Amino acid sequence: MTNPEQTNAKASFTRRDFLKISGIAGGTLAVLGNLPQGREAIRQAFNLGENTEFFEAKPENQIYSVCLQCNTGCGIKVKLYEGLAAKIDGNPYSPWTLWPHIPYQTPISEAATSEGALCPKGQSGIQTAYDPYRLVSVLKRKPGTKRGEGQWETISFEQALDEIVNGGDLFGEGKVEGLKDLYAVRDPELMKQMGAAIKAIWDEKDAEKKKELLKKFQEDFKDHLDKLIDPQHPDLGPKNNQLAFVWGRMKNGRGDLVRRFFDQGFGTLNYNGHTTVCQGSLYFTGKQMSSRWNPQTGQFDSGDKFYWQADTGNSEFVIYAGANLYDANYGPPQRVPKATQASIDGRKFAVIDPRLSKLAARAWKWVPIKPGTDAAFALGMIRWIFENERYNQEYLAIANQAAASAAGEPNCSNAAWLVKVKDGKPTTFLRASEIGLVEAQKETDKEGKEVTVYVAKDGTKFTCDVPVILMDGKPFAFDPVDPEAAPAVGEILVDTKVGEFAVKSSLQILKEEAEKHTLDEWAKICDVKVEDIILLAYEFTSHGRKAVIDIHRGPSQHTNGFYANNAYYALNLLIGNFDYAGGTVKGTTYNRLGEKAGQPFPLGKMIKNALTPFGIDILRTKVAYEKTTLFNKEKPYPTKRPWFPIASDIYQEDVPSMGDAYPYQIKVFIQYMNGMAYSLPAAQTVIDILADPKKIPLIIASDILIGETSAYADYVFPDLSYLERWEFHGTHPSVVWKVEGIRQPAISLPNWPTVNVFGAAIPLSFEALLLGIAEKLNLPGFGKDAFGEGLSYIYPEDFYLKMAANVAFGEKEDGSDAVPEADDEELRIFREARRFLPSSVFDEKRWKAAVGNDESLWRRVVYVLNRGGRYQDFAKAYKGSQVTNKYGRLINLYHEKTYKSINTMTGEHMFGCATYVPAGLDYMDQEIKDEGYDLHLITYKTITMTKARTITNYWLLAVMPEGYVVINSEDARKRGIKHGDRVRLSSASNPEGLWDVKHGRKIPIVGKAYVTEGIRPGVVAFPLGFGHWASGSSDIIIDGQVVKGDTRRAVPLHANAVMRVDPVTKNVTLSDLVGGSAVFYDTKVKVEKA
Amino acid sequence: MSEPKEAALLSKMASEVFAGMIAPALENAPLIQAAEDDVLAKEDVLVRMERELKRALEKSPAERRWVMVIDLRRCIGCHACTIGCVAENKLPPGVVYRPVLTEEIGKYPHVAYRFLPKPCLQCENAPCTPVCPVNATYTNEEGVIVVDYDQCIGCRACISACPYASRTFDFGVNYTDKTVDRLTMVLGSSEAGKYETAGTAFEYGERRERQQHHSPIGNVRKCHFCLHRIKVGILPACTTTCIGRATYFGDANDPDALVSELIAKPNVMRLKEELGTEPRVYYLL
Repeated sequence: MTNPEQTNAKASFTRRDFLKISGIAGGTLAVLGNLPQGREAIRQAFNLGENTEFFEAKPENQIYSVCLQCNTGCGIKVKLYEGLAAKIDGNPYSPWTLWPHIPYQTPISEAATSEGALCPKGQSGIQTAYDPYRLVSVLKRKPGTKRGEGQWETISFEQALDEIVNGGDLFGEGKVEGLKDLYAVRDPELMKQMGAAIKAIWDEKDAEKKKELLKKFQEDFKDHLDKLIDPQHPDLGPKNNQLAFVWGRMKNGRGDLVRRFFDQGFGTLNYNGHTTVCQGSLYFTGKQMSSRWNPQTGQFDSGDKFYWQADTGNSEFVIYAGANLYDANYGPPQRVPKATQASIDGRKFAVIDPRLSKLAARAWKWVPIKPGTDAAFALGMIRWIFENERYNQEYLAIANQAAASAAGEPNCSNAAWLVKVKDGKPTTFLRASEIGLVEAQKETDKEGKEVTVYVAKDGTKFTCDVPVILMDGKPFAFDPVDPEAAPAVGEILVDTKVGEFAVKSSLQILKEEAEKHTLDEWAKICDVKVEDIILLAYEFTSHGRKAVIDIHRGPSQHTNGFYANNAYYALNLLIGNFDYAGGTVKGTTYNRLGEKAGQPFPLGKMIKNALTPFGIDILRTKVAYEKTTLFNKEKPYPTKRPWFPIASDIYQEDVPSMGDAYPYQIKVFIQYMNGMAYSLPAAQTVIDILADPKKIPLIIASDILIGETSAYADYVFPDLSYLERWEFHGTHPSVVWKVEGIRQPAISLPNWPTVNVFGAAIPLSFEALLLGIAEKLNLPGFGKDAFGEGLSYIYPEDFYLKMAANVAFGEKEDGSDAVPEADDEELRIFREARRFLPSSVFDEKRWKAAVGNDESLWRRVVYVLNRGGRYQDFAKAYKGSQVTNKYGRLINLYHEKTYKSINTMTGEHMFGCATYVPAGLDYMDQEIKDEGYDLHLITYKTITMTKARTITNYWLLAVMPEGYVVINSEDARKRGIKHGDRVRLSSASNPEGLWDVKHGRKIPIVGKAYVTEGIRPGVVAFPLGFGHWASGSSDIIIDGQVVKGDTRRAVPLHANAVMRVDPVTKNVTLSDLVGGSAVFYDTKVKVEKA
Repeated sequence: MSEPKEAALLSKMASEVFAGMIAPALENAPLIQAAEDDVLAKEDVLVRMERELKRALEKSPAERRWVMVIDLRRCIGCHACTIGCVAENKLPPGVVYRPVLTEEIGKYPHVAYRFLPKPCLQCENAPCTPVCPVNATYTNEEGVIVVDYDQCIGCRACISACPYASRTFDFGVNYTDKTVDRLTMVLGSSEAGKYETAGTAFEYGERRERQQHHSPIGNVRKCHFCLHRIKVGILPACTTTCIGRATYFGDANDPDALVSELIAKPNVMRLKEELGTEPRVYYLL
């Protein structure tokens, strides 16, 4: 700080002096001060307060980008003061921050003074970028110290790359294999051949023939068996698979780089996201409900990993189930104004949540449900709706796309399709050939290939064995997807026999699930009033298609999450609200990868010698256990750990699977923006494994600081924050406009290091890490001419700008969907806004070259970047009562693929429809009874915190400085707990209530009690985001110097470590073994005064 | 909303009142019908208010009467305004212009939260200005109560005088104080803390680097309706950041302004009216 005595006399005039003067001649000064010219005289005399033009209003001081303080993806406007991010506001072009957003064609000079609304986290983002604890050097765990001990050495980027690529005795603990040792199969042709041979083994159903194929593999590839993880089980794949990459928050752009590097470049299958810690069972419900009918095979292909949300702004009635959109839920700026407008208009909404969220506090009805019973509540509603025939029978009868088109419906469902029932249990859909409706015939197709076609008696030809409905009392075979096919409109409640088969319609199966209990019984299971079930069901069926159920983490993060989500979505299907304004909608983005005809850069194809990984992935998601050589015929079930036939990215299983080396050992584990040691339920089990180099020999982290997970790494590579880097944020389900939000460098930290990669100086970053490894290992797809002649991949933007160009070009081959070209004025503003970015980040010539030096395309790219992405105009998202960007195809009420999947712990088929199973089951589907632990623990989000990554934002801490144990007043009274008392949480799997973070540090799971009426008695909650032990919260040592931690970041409370450990595997949280969710809400705890 | 829609809504609400009685009759009614109404497309109030702001700026300052209206039914207690204000004005720890008070009411299961955003109410009869011994705080010609940072002696008499606790004192601390610094492997507070100290807050249209012994450290600080933003046609930070669209700002002398419409609503009130302070901040209940 400047000492006023040392500066010039005028400026050193302090208030103390002023007091002195005013003490003597105060009256005079006061009078003088009151005259305007007097004030100015004083200001000039003492050189105080500099009158400068206000920088915020000028477009040259603004760069539009996309927030990443949570995953909502609000458009932001970063306001720069001499290159410093001084303020962040909402991007008015983005439908996230204005409703309606301003027209896309508005010149950016005109938009300079407009700003959209942004939540407190978004505004605090500059404290994420300008965090004193941001790492600026590559760190290596100090040899001779243990993982997680907090002792580091700085190391040059070059040296670090050398060590992780080549391996060696890196820590004085013995030899560590480097990446080069795992980069075993490098020949794309060999990998392809091996993969095909493995697929043949898997596809062979006969056990003997399978063995023969295995032998043949071992002979055919005898020169390459050393490249495999286990030649006895070649289907584990090549050693390449022993490199695993796991990310926390990763968006497209970087995600595409990850695929290019790990999949096409390195050839490993193991690159996984964190989906299941968020709302995995919701994503995989969406995936099964959207699984596609394949008219070639007559089977279902994979669906889309996605989910639907409510079109809040146009709904007349919404039920938010475990969705908290006033605090989180993708997300407040985008959804709140629509919901508050509904309140003012008198449009009702109800909230199902054990805790009174801010949303629930404003609801027409709050239903404080018993946690884990959502499916019961939904099935109660469904039962009442069936009993009172308040469902959309016309819509549900529509069984194929052709009938949907004829009826003007945007989509159809399989509600009327007939399912075969065996021993009272629904199995697969009846196929037409099974009852003689069609006959298989051989035919030669146009290319002279022999194909099988299925011919009905009336001569109708099908490309596959098609499903069946009952139409006019008779079985009817139909093509589900061909818009030109005969419309299929079926009977919807069918329970009969067709030929030799007992069959039921999908809707009948749902109805019977709902009829398993009476309304009173369902109400009792949920511990709610039966009147509430009826009231919500009545209201829900009183608004046509403009009613909707919006679901999120609440129903999802239970062991029965998949079925709870299915039950809620089934309700939406009963009123046929999918693709309707005010109903159930999905997100849509502009294609960035150049997959549409005419787009300038087909990036997926712009790579030579790409590898094609094969084998079993570490999470056991890509192949059915029963097909593999690991299948043990004598004792098939349970497997050592579960397989996940319909889920993926099962975050909680990554590290425990590595710990058990099941199905094989991971030797190098690279992680990115990964908060798993903090964010996962029962995360102490993750730490146990991460801390042990025998289990995972080498851990490399890319992070912006030393977080709770990178704290256990061997190397940490500093990354750029979201204000300094590129990403394509995409959209979210409740955004009905077609969009692509583009995150781009708005700032560069002063003196941010550059590193040498492929002969160029690029910013130290995640990209630098991967490009650097790629250079050393000579991976395909990187470096000079990587995208083709003259198109190199050396700078991060070489990839990202091509994506921006694809987005700018749009999706019409003739270019008619392209954005306008930036005019000279827009180009000038673009340039000037980036005047403080170093040339390693922004260089107009280089950027233009990255899009092929095409002036017109470049100007379109500038147009898009000037607006922080591409956003469809407001009015274009709706057409009449329907949305424009439709889901628009078959919705599966019953999913055959789910039924066909086996739970490898129990050996049972998974159930293919909404159903109620109790929550809180272990990995063997057994109920857990934790006697003596009498309170049900749940978590929630506050708007000020995003799990692991916002504790660094002091402005947010000023609003809410710590997390509390939220407890009902009655529960508190019984335990003698008063508001503000310190209380300890414990559970059967953590009876001490301590979080063991290793090396003698055990953090008490203690926080202050928040005694309230706003939570269901018997339930306690805590907000996620507090209780850190790394992330700058405690001291670490780098190069022998203490980096003093800031205790404001260590405030209570984080209680994930009391969450129930699975008693079967003993090293993982409870999980939904169908939908994959990590379970946050099924733990019983004790709360005692600390 | 258009008239027919309102009528439809009214009839719907009426039918809910009598739902119990008429439910049997409803069984035969066509319950599922595709609504053909247009979507609820309109103009975001932020866009409207920005337009109105620019219109107001064409007038002379004395002709304008800035007011703020806060619709408590729309406030969700998110604190976006609190932080928006902190970020805009680079308010240090302990200084807050726009707190949001939270209150829980009722008994389980009939519980609600009440939120009250509370900026300076910019009273017409302000109790805070007459007590200033150096006339550092006064009502400017646009009706906004300002603090002259060069005049203020930090005596805090105005803090005591304000019946709404709308003023706080700047003790000179920063958020990045006491964090790591002067190491080469991490960013450090000198570099990281520039967003606090480099003078990017333009309160009253003036740029001031934040330095000890320099204003506004040691001064009393308060909400000024973001005069520096208004001047260039940007709405106050609390208004543009309000994700619930609960905060409205504009010129009450403009009969066509949104705020003029709102302050004539029957559900309007002001805090502590009985004091006769005549706040220029109104609340809708």
